[in-house]
Amino acid sequence: MDLVANNLSYKPDDQYHLNEVSFNFKEGNLYTILGRTLSGKTTLLKTIAGLLTPDSGEIEFDGKNFLKVPVWERNVAMVYQQFINYPHLNVYENIAFPLKQRKMDQSIINDKVMDALKSVGLLGYEKRKIQELSGGQQQRVSLARSLVKNAKILLLDEPLVNLDYKLREQLREEFKNLFSKGLADETILIYSTTDPRETMELNGEVIVLDEGKVLQVGSAKEIFENPNSLKVAEISNDPPMNIIEAKISDNNIKFEGINLEAPQHLSKLTEDGLKIGLRSSDIELNENGQEFEVELAEISGSETLLHLKRGDTKIIVSIEEVLNFKIHDKVKINFKIDRAYAFNADGKLAASPFGGLNGQN
Amino acid sequence: MNFKHKYFFLFPGLFVLIGILIFPIIFVVRLSLSGWNSYNPGLDYIGLENYIRLFTDDPRFWESFFRLSFLSVTTVILQYVIGFALAHMVWKDIKFKRFFRVLFLVPMMTTPVIMTVIWRTFFHESLGPVNDLLSVFGVAPKWLTDPVIAKFTVIIVEVWQWTPFMFLLLLAGLLSLPKEPFLAAAIDGASPIRKFIYVTFPLMAPISIGAIIIRLIEASKIMDTVYVLTSGGPGTSTETSSFYIFIKGLREFQMGYAASMSFTYLIIMIISLTIIAKVLTKVLLKE
Repeated sequence: MDLVANNLSYKPDDQYHLNEVSFNFKEGNLYTILGRTLSGKTTLLKTIAGLLTPDSGEIEFDGKNFLKVPVWERNVAMVYQQFINYPHLNVYENIAFPLKQRKMDQSIINDKVMDALKSVGLLGYEKRKIQELSGGQQQRVSLARSLVKNAKILLLDEPLVNLDYKLREQLREEFKNLFSKGLADETILIYSTTDPRETMELNGEVIVLDEGKVLQVGSAKEIFENPNSLKVAEISNDPPMNIIEAKISDNNIKFEGINLEAPQHLSKLTEDGLKIGLRSSDIELNENGQEFEVELAEISGSETLLHLKRGDTKIIVSIEEVLNFKIHDKVKINFKIDRAYAFNADGKLAASPFGGLNGQN
Repeated sequence: MNFKHKYFFLFPGLFVLIGILIFPIIFVVRLSLSGWNSYNPGLDYIGLENYIRLFTDDPRFWESFFRLSFLSVTTVILQYVIGFALAHMVWKDIKFKRFFRVLFLVPMMTTPVIMTVIWRTFFHESLGPVNDLLSVFGVAPKWLTDPVIAKFTVIIVEVWQWTPFMFLLLLAGLLSLPKEPFLAAAIDGASPIRKFIYVTFPLMAPISIGAIIIRLIEASKIMDTVYVLTSGGPGTSTETSSFYIFIKGLREFQMGYAASMSFTYLIIMIISLTIIAKVLTKVLLKE
């Protein structure tokens, strides 16, 4: 049972929330929608759920026109980024709610609710009121509520974004387990996120969305190795990929008075306005490297993010340890230039170290 | 907070309270123990005589009390149902929403006594427009002079006058509800009707209880409508407690006896409203 969309557009004001979005989702698969905030992820999920009607385009599910099916008959489940539950019901009643709507037998409901509680680790919390739970527990309740239905389409709209770091890690781990555990057999799982790391970890088919437009579709590995444009490279890397305006001539990459020998995959590019893309993790501190000035140093977890400047070129370097720097310190860095990407003046991928597109073709 | 002069700051408020509430209540209790009437105006002491008369020898008071209970409960239920329906209607996105929101409030902006005079004219049995219209069908109900129909006339006028108040409270309640549970309910497979039963109505329970109690307190004082519309008639068939107390106290000047009725009425109202609030909380909030 496939979920197919053709040219979905939604433009409630002067901006597109969805712009000619098409996709073909197959049952048993996990799809990750990656995009920055306001890129149209929630709009897309709401359209699939039936909470929004697109201005144009079609959605078909199992060969039937899905747009004609009212929300309450669509058999979808959705987990939102805010923890949405019923404030007037306790945990048990919350999870039983969708089953009661289907007028199931009380004993079946009971079994299913208990199963769901177990799978999200909330056994023993049945009688609690929703307001007495922590954010993570509230999100577990809404996850359990969506699991209990055995919906054909399960939508998760940035479910981890409002949780603190620890809980996010923990729940993400549990998600992976749940998704791999047969749940996805006949379910279409659609997961939206702003976090490229989450995309990589979930390892599903990725749809990169920006300003309501699908920029690229592919496996997590493909998106990581061969982002088809500057935009995708920015969205799918955190911190965003460094973009350096450089010239390639005589087999050398030149910028800000620096000369780097061009690796093979870049050596044949000669056109003007090239942009070199390099991940922040592909730059390292090195005594014999090029000198840059520290603009800002932020420590994030066990990483240090160095914002550096030389002339008009600004770059970010991530270092896998906690180091202290002062603003205006001089540091020397080395570029792992063999891992560099090149983009055309119009932002299209020109060459990738993974051979997605070569200077040649 | 331990502050030496804190009681000093309570005095202004306490003073007003004593003047307008505590003293009058104590005075009514004292008055109810006297035989003050037009022949014998004075605070003599006759013990519980007034109360004994009230409880053993005045069926008219109890009849008017049960009539009042019937009228207030019926009108409040009708106001709640109609008010909720109207509020629910303009809560959703419909055309001319703002227009309807104002329209439904118009009755509340009118002067009750004047409006009741107009209603009386409406329902006038031989000259009123209502019976003029109904004469087409060959019927002419005695809106104001039939003992049973007159009660319903009072109910119609009360409901017309005060439903907007209920509407306003319930609309404010609906607008303050969180939107998320409704999203969830739609996705969870609840049709619009089930959504109302399982989400809207339970979420509205606390506001509903408040609105019903406020209206019950107000409705248990029904007096002006009856006074203008039927003067308690025909006979005593639309007479309410407050109207009866008014007749005894301010027309017949049996001040002592009227005071004992007022005090009894106050105690009954406090007890019954407490019970009603408890029951409503239990039924609607399941607590």
